[in-house]
Amino acid sequence: MPYDFAEAHHLPNRRLPEQAHADPYDLPRQRRGVTPQMHGRYPDYDVLEQADHWDEVTRRVVLERVGSVPEIRFFAMEEVETLTAFADIVLAQDSEPRIPVLAYVDQKLFNGERDGYRYFDMPDDDETWRRVARGLDEEARRRGHDRFALLPVDRQLEVCHGFATGKLHKGAWDTLNVSRAWSVVMRYLLQSFYSHPWAWNEIGFGGPAYPRGYSRFGSPHLQSAERETWEGKEAFEIDPVEDTQQRGLE
Amino acid sequence: MRLPKSIVKGSVLMPKDNDSPFLLDMHKRGLQNLDRMARYPLSAPVDLVVVGAGAGGVTLAQRLARAGWRVVILEKGPFWDPDRDWVSDEKGAAGIYWTDPRIISGNDPIEMGKNNSGVGVGGSMTHFAGYVPRFHPSDFEVRTRDGVGVDWPISYWDLKDSFERVELELPVAGQDWPWGDPHSYPHGPHPVAGAASVAWQGALGCGIEMRVGPVAITNGVFGRRPHCIYRGFCLQGCKVNAKASPLITHLPDAIEYGVEVRADCMATRVEVDESSGRCTGVTYVDGDNIERFQPADAVAVCGYAIETPRLLLNSQSRRFPHGLANGSDQVGRYVMVQGATQIAARFPYELRMYKAPPPEISSEQFYETDQSRGFARGFSIQTVGPLPIDWAQHVLADGHWGQAMREYMRDYNHWTLLGLLCEFLPLPENRVTLASETDRYGMPVANFSYSLCENDRRNVEYGTNVIEEIWESAGAQDTLKIDRYAHLVGGCRMGFTPEDSVVDSSHRAWECPNLFVCDGSVFPTEGAANPALVIMALADRLAGLLKTKRVSAPPAARKKEPASLRR
Repeated sequence: MPYDFAEAHHLPNRRLPEQAHADPYDLPRQRRGVTPQMHGRYPDYDVLEQADHWDEVTRRVVLERVGSVPEIRFFAMEEVETLTAFADIVLAQDSEPRIPVLAYVDQKLFNGERDGYRYFDMPDDDETWRRVARGLDEEARRRGHDRFALLPVDRQLEVCHGFATGKLHKGAWDTLNVSRAWSVVMRYLLQSFYSHPWAWNEIGFGGPAYPRGYSRFGSPHLQSAERETWEGKEAFEIDPVEDTQQRGLE
Repeated sequence: MRLPKSIVKGSVLMPKDNDSPFLLDMHKRGLQNLDRMARYPLSAPVDLVVVGAGAGGVTLAQRLARAGWRVVILEKGPFWDPDRDWVSDEKGAAGIYWTDPRIISGNDPIEMGKNNSGVGVGGSMTHFAGYVPRFHPSDFEVRTRDGVGVDWPISYWDLKDSFERVELELPVAGQDWPWGDPHSYPHGPHPVAGAASVAWQGALGCGIEMRVGPVAITNGVFGRRPHCIYRGFCLQGCKVNAKASPLITHLPDAIEYGVEVRADCMATRVEVDESSGRCTGVTYVDGDNIERFQPADAVAVCGYAIETPRLLLNSQSRRFPHGLANGSDQVGRYVMVQGATQIAARFPYELRMYKAPPPEISSEQFYETDQSRGFARGFSIQTVGPLPIDWAQHVLADGHWGQAMREYMRDYNHWTLLGLLCEFLPLPENRVTLASETDRYGMPVANFSYSLCENDRRNVEYGTNVIEEIWESAGAQDTLKIDRYAHLVGGCRMGFTPEDSVVDSSHRAWECPNLFVCDGSVFPTEGAANPALVIMALADRLAGLLKTKRVSAPPAARKKEPASLRR
């Protein structure tokens, strides 16, 4: 089926209630660079190809993020297993390549970096993470499995839905404000995921733009004028099957 | 011949008593005159110790240094060199926000950190979006006009000259401004990017006028500050030196006139003489973790709405058992944030909102009270342009995660945002107190409690509907909403009597004659405008009141030639 991103009916708020999520594997396969799970809307765009245009300080920070995944120093092995499974569900990373988000979360917690506030009814962020890991495993046991990571995906989704809507109780959850715990862990995960250049490829973000800046941010009515020559083109109306055949790729 | 101001735009118009734009380097962003910075000994009092190198502190120091005062600024954070320390990356910018522990409480706890708190030389303005609207004349008399909040002990007209002076120094770019006291700006308006032009069309369609600006971003070369390059990372610190912060707009000049900035120095107490009740200087912990004391004839606390009350509350003595200048239990009270709900809208074509400065166009059409709306005071509407991490928080706030989150994120380039800035009312229980836990300096951390009142909620609700209408008229295909808050003011408000305020109309503490507070914490009410310009204007006015009133005898005259001639 060809894509038409001019229309909005692929968006969750616009879908009919009975309609299932659009399958992201129907999206174009990434042809340049990497995206998480290799699908995205800008198949020929790799932001890392622009690294030569970034200032050196920024380049070092961003390339290190991609090139050297920090080793786990804060979480225990069991917590890593549980929280990795949780992160895969809430970020929909269901196949390789995955952005190793938990490694960045671990690094931040290990270094004692915080975001500058703590709710009066919450423990410190590091303790919140540990209790969430405990709570997720308790939910798994209530469903007849030892660990969250061993639950079937639909049960994992069900637990995450309860977490997102603040509806988990007993055990570790009673020691937390569940809605706030959700916002804490999601803040860490989203920061780790969307600071990664693979995610920028998926969404067509221009990435660091210093010292080059932008010169084309003009009117939406001049379609070709709004994009820099190096920015990715959105895959409008390309059928992936026809496309790969035409290009003789398969 | 005097040319009309409207045609003398851009670099022709330069500030008279501030050489900062000429003291920078076109190709390096850090300050170039640090080797000439004064060093004052700890053994003798200086004329003034300023706590906090932000909008209030640096502006005040620069003015007073020009009047011959010997000034030391204590700054908790680093002395930034944008080339070396700042990155063009959302996550990598974490270091420029105040991330030391703070507790948030109340019915509507306010998230801190990158949202509203800066650290390091330049203060929060290093990462503010760049909007610098003036307050309206009505903002200074809301009690008289609307029967809510309190009146300021000064009027708009006391600040008008200061607004004009500071606007020239930043410099401010924008269209002629029709709201409040109509005025024009030294730099012309920036071009409007695609994302903002959609909002403009939508607003016009439902009878709402918007204007380009006002932003403290160069639109043209300004001394040795380059033109904006529209890279969209205003909130991560401007690596171009195009967006104003006191680090580049006032500090270079201040250093030429003998201001010393001690970075990495956390003020922990303002000390007082128990018999006279005057303050004697400031105790601080330096970068080597050694406690020091800088004696001074006067102290100006400029640490913003959380840290200023925290420092005063922590400065307890026999004479001031509840904290310095807190005899009437006013320190830390009446802190205000602004309702900053944002609504994102989806369009069929790519808009790429990460380009161009996030602050682009704004409207103050709903700024003043309109009885028919059912609440007092009003709000502004402004564009914002979140980068991916912020955008993800937006999607999360609308209740999406997993595949739905990824779907909205992939749609990033089709979206644009409008945000509200709703004036909230000052309430005594919205306050900063000291918590029982301490930070790495051994100082009790701040507990900041916030709860909205009915008027606040109605304001946000009404404003949200207005933005929804704008997007509907623009033809948006989908919208996402995030309820959030921005800015921090109040906490040490200025007023008419010692019973209902901390400082008088000249920023002087009622209970301590040589203690001044000069930052956003003195605001009695907050308007529906971003606070940066007002804070700088207040500092400019205070310097005008103080400059001939130095406590000690002037030092031997130091010959200073204008720095711009020296090179």
